[in-house]
Amino acid sequence: MNWTVAPILIPLVTGLVALAVGPPTRGRRWGVAVSMVSQLLVAAFLLVGTASGRWFLLGVGHWPARLGIVLVVDLLSAIMLTLSSLIGLAAVLYGYAESGVSEEHPLRLPLLQALMAGINLSFCTGDLFNLFVAFEIMLIASYGLLTTEADDWDIKQAFPYVAINVVGSTLFLCAAGLAYGLFGTLNFATIAQRASEMPGDGRVLLLGLLLVVVFGIKAGLFPLYYWLPNSYPTLPNPLAALFAGMLTKVGVYVLLRALGTMLPHDLHLIHSLLALLAGVTMIVAVLGAISRNHIRGILSFHILSQIGFMVLAIGFFTPLAWTACIFYVIHHIVVKASLFLIGGAAARLNRSDDLDRMGQLWQQAPWLGVLFLCQALSLAGLPPLSGFWGKYVIVLVGLAHGHYGLVAASLAASILTLVSMLKIWNAAFWGGTGAATVRIQDPHWRRMTWVVAGLTAISLGIGFGAESVFQLARQAAEQVFDATEYARVVAGFLGKLPPD
Amino acid sequence: MALETAVLIGVVFAGATYLLLQRSFVRVLFGFVLLSNAANLLLLSMSGRPDAKVAPMVVEGAGPLADPLPQALILTAIVIGFGVTAYLVLLLYRIFLDHQTTHAGELYRDQDKDASP
Repeated sequence: MNWTVAPILIPLVTGLVALAVGPPTRGRRWGVAVSMVSQLLVAAFLLVGTASGRWFLLGVGHWPARLGIVLVVDLLSAIMLTLSSLIGLAAVLYGYAESGVSEEHPLRLPLLQALMAGINLSFCTGDLFNLFVAFEIMLIASYGLLTTEADDWDIKQAFPYVAINVVGSTLFLCAAGLAYGLFGTLNFATIAQRASEMPGDGRVLLLGLLLVVVFGIKAGLFPLYYWLPNSYPTLPNPLAALFAGMLTKVGVYVLLRALGTMLPHDLHLIHSLLALLAGVTMIVAVLGAISRNHIRGILSFHILSQIGFMVLAIGFFTPLAWTACIFYVIHHIVVKASLFLIGGAAARLNRSDDLDRMGQLWQQAPWLGVLFLCQALSLAGLPPLSGFWGKYVIVLVGLAHGHYGLVAASLAASILTLVSMLKIWNAAFWGGTGAATVRIQDPHWRRMTWVVAGLTAISLGIGFGAESVFQLARQAAEQVFDATEYARVVAGFLGKLPPD
Repeated sequence: MALETAVLIGVVFAGATYLLLQRSFVRVLFGFVLLSNAANLLLLSMSGRPDAKVAPMVVEGAGPLADPLPQALILTAIVIGFGVTAYLVLLLYRIFLDHQTTHAGELYRDQDKDASP
């Protein structure tokens, strides 16, 4: 049995079956939950396998290397797969806790499974055009999720999201076409080999820049981010958590994959450009967060600010910086998703997520406050929580290479993150208007809080067990940084396939 | 022939960019239709000169084949583009039903700095 295809196949089949079963029932919910757990188990199996040095490969249709699609799961892919299944599971369970079967939109679970399939395929694929297809599956499912439950305010926020992503996809298609014209192949490994045979070729640099634009749109990099902070808050809470946790991080993952494994390592212009844009993103986005006055709006801007940290580490372009980047991605996905879920529970208790109308949560629901405090301080980067370690190493690498301006920007962004988190804390939990009522009798919020508590426990584990997570991230970073090893493994595998 | 193709692709891209930057969302939609066609043309041109090549079908004694891979890619891209266009049309129709306009200036006129619902 080849497990490489399982992370794509399971959600796809689940989604189709859920669609065929029809309107939401208790049984359909159980089925999807079981499927999400099995996805997590498969991802964990791949993670354990790749951590011990194994590669999982599949040559789809047994086509020869230059033409066929290969699925490749290395350690970085397996880490991302595990995180996506984890957040997917949390989002599904939280959705169950938040609303009864009768209130559930019939298309939510099928579309969510399609989204999972798209996300997982983009982590598994070893082929540029297949990556485009994965992006399309993911984006089309996300368009659906963004608009099926939208009211008339939400719907006009959806259009900019759809429009810019459609343009980004078309540019990606152009980039894939140009890559085929330039290298005669779409396979990452073969592109890496052929690109290394044409050093200093301007066309490779141009292709790299085009890919940076495409993936920058996906990741929400300055100045390509404006679609994000207005569209994400319109999503239902569990979906907002999944989008916030995973979608922009797919952009970060493909940046790592493209710059580390596919393109040559001497494109210094691209690396400096990324570091510069990342610095601007951090500052501009965190200022945006401070300007907002409702929880999900603040959190949405924070996604971008944190993307700045990850891309800054990519731009430093050393294995250590990439280790920090991967560590940061692991930390960020869990923390960001759980903050969105905490925000959802708080908004449910106060019947609003407008900070002017919230308050008194600390007296009534102290445990929710504790969870929020853990995750908020972790996001801001206070030791010993998980956010600190990633930032610490990024700052160390930045200082070692003399990027003082960028390091200063990142520290300023961290402090401003703390300020905006304290804004939520003061308004919703600690103080707030005395007029705010807390619906403590609401039966749903306790179960919602349990889901968040699970995620918070994992993120505390990342913080206190930082050493072992860091070792894992280092192994993944060294693997993704080593393009020759990737090419050797994939070529060795494809050599075993039947020839033309 | 390569030059003519390049100029054609460039002109279609320019037209698409012009339409995408308009404030009316219907024009943006047409801009996207043009843009995806421009991208498909670009992909097609990547299979090289078709002169003295035959269609990629396995026939006894056939000459050099045209590269079929870009054509397979275009086929995928056309299907995806078609689906997304259909979705965009419906999205615009929904926006029109809710707001009686698809003009960006009128849609977002009352949007304050804070997008709270």
